[in-house]
Amino acid sequence: MFGLFAVYPVVRTLYLSFFEYRLQFGETMTFVGLKHYVNMLTNERFWNAFGFTMAFTALTVGFEVLLGLAFAQAMNKDYPGRGLLRVVVLIPWAIPTIVSGFMWKFMVHDQYGVINQMLRSVGLIRDYVPWLSRDIGAKAILILADIWKTAPYVSLMVLAGLQGIPRSLLEAADIDGAGPIVRYFRITLPLLKPVLATAVLFRLIQSFKVYTVIVALTNGGPGNATESLTLYTLRTYFDAGNYGYGSALASFTMIVTCGIAVCFLDVIRDKVEAGRKGRAR
Amino acid sequence: MSRKTWDKALFYAFAAFFVATIGFPFFWQVLNSFKLEKDIFSLTWFPDAYTLANYRKAFQSRPLMEYMGNSIAVSVFATLASMALGSMAAYALARTRIRGTGLILIVVLSVSLLPPVVIVNPIYALIRGMGLLNTRTGLVIVNTLFTLTLTIWFLVPYMHSIPAELEEAAEIDGAGPWICYSRIIMPLVAPGVFTVGILAFIQVWNEYLFALVMNPVRVKLVTVGLKMYESDNYIPWGTIMAASTVIVVPLIAMVLALQKRIISGLTSGGLKE
Repeated sequence: MFGLFAVYPVVRTLYLSFFEYRLQFGETMTFVGLKHYVNMLTNERFWNAFGFTMAFTALTVGFEVLLGLAFAQAMNKDYPGRGLLRVVVLIPWAIPTIVSGFMWKFMVHDQYGVINQMLRSVGLIRDYVPWLSRDIGAKAILILADIWKTAPYVSLMVLAGLQGIPRSLLEAADIDGAGPIVRYFRITLPLLKPVLATAVLFRLIQSFKVYTVIVALTNGGPGNATESLTLYTLRTYFDAGNYGYGSALASFTMIVTCGIAVCFLDVIRDKVEAGRKGRAR
Repeated sequence: MSRKTWDKALFYAFAAFFVATIGFPFFWQVLNSFKLEKDIFSLTWFPDAYTLANYRKAFQSRPLMEYMGNSIAVSVFATLASMALGSMAAYALARTRIRGTGLILIVVLSVSLLPPVVIVNPIYALIRGMGLLNTRTGLVIVNTLFTLTLTIWFLVPYMHSIPAELEEAAEIDGAGPWICYSRIIMPLVAPGVFTVGILAFIQVWNEYLFALVMNPVRVKLVTVGLKMYESDNYIPWGTIMAASTVIVVPLIAMVLALQKRIISGLTSGGLKE
């Protein structure tokens, strides 16, 4: 069953990407070689979707890691009230992406959005801004919504890493005269590296397939400014019925994902070894 | 002030900021779901009168009950299937010493990393070929597959942590693999299976892409149903906020009740959103 539902579809998608196969022509398939890939690489809409997806991925993961590090540091303190922090952190994670998309859409609304109200009351803007109908605005809001949803989750992973660092190490460094900043960069960060690498790997791949939050907030607009690769592929499949070209786009997504995974081969090897031998992860 | 006091002050300042930014969108959603339309439009934070009309409209203007029922059925069955199959697969992977387990693990990990868009079209064709388009069964199958990668990854180390001597002793007493699995392993890994079950349930409940693609007409899950409230020229914000609250409350309740398990699950599994 696993083979049927996991391996076959991948092979099928790669295979179809070399054929002309359109819904409106029925079941006829004609071999066209690399035609779809050539079309893809000369298509402005593809480059737009790819560029936006890359920028989205880089910015969301970058900010999420920075915020995750900061949040985790706070959650690792032994003050009363940290229990509340750990509960609050789970809220964005548990909320469906489509729901959080609507929350943000409502908050940034050009007439009754609370964010416009807040920004105007502190004097940052003079008139309400229609964020989602502007190119940069729509992109920024999408990135913000994604960071809100996922940074807390990254912080939980970092927190688990922090708790694995022996306190005695930090205390020894303190006695040797290392200040908090030196300690953080020389001891904490290097020891967090495995956890961070895992978090970054999974987040990069998740961010690269961004889709749902876009459906809720902008549906790819204004124009095609926020059309991600996944959204473009799904539109090619199910709106245009162009299965051949859609498969080429999907294959491209897979190639990039594999590329990301290859950059983190150590993480993957560790995980597989841990699964095989039962070493603690 | 001493360093300790500064540290404490900084912590509470940061914590307050943190709770406010993380909690505000959710708070705003719930608050507005109880407001009259005029107060939503005039951006009155705390109006004099509150209403349940938005909730009535959420259930009356769209079949929200039906969406909830579909989501509950699909999430429960996919989660149970995934827990059962995942724990058996993890047991087999952890206990067999044959070559090839590494390869299987790589395939499982690859599938969990694979963007759904890569396989959505062939899976759509498969499910259509099986006559399961627009059925809950089709959605259960697909969601079981996607959560299976999570349950297997989560449970393999768990299985390893159980000493093999336990089963060896049972085998000497004449117990077969099935008895070993159901009488010895299952009770020991039950907490782990339960934890990963929660994670799987939340993943299925929140899934959107396959829920949309595989059920364009009939069986709508809550995530797809929510999008139905919007029309081209009018967005009933109060109703959407009420429907969102209905969709989210079961999850938040579950998260609050089971937060310790979820946190331990997330930090050790770390595979999925």
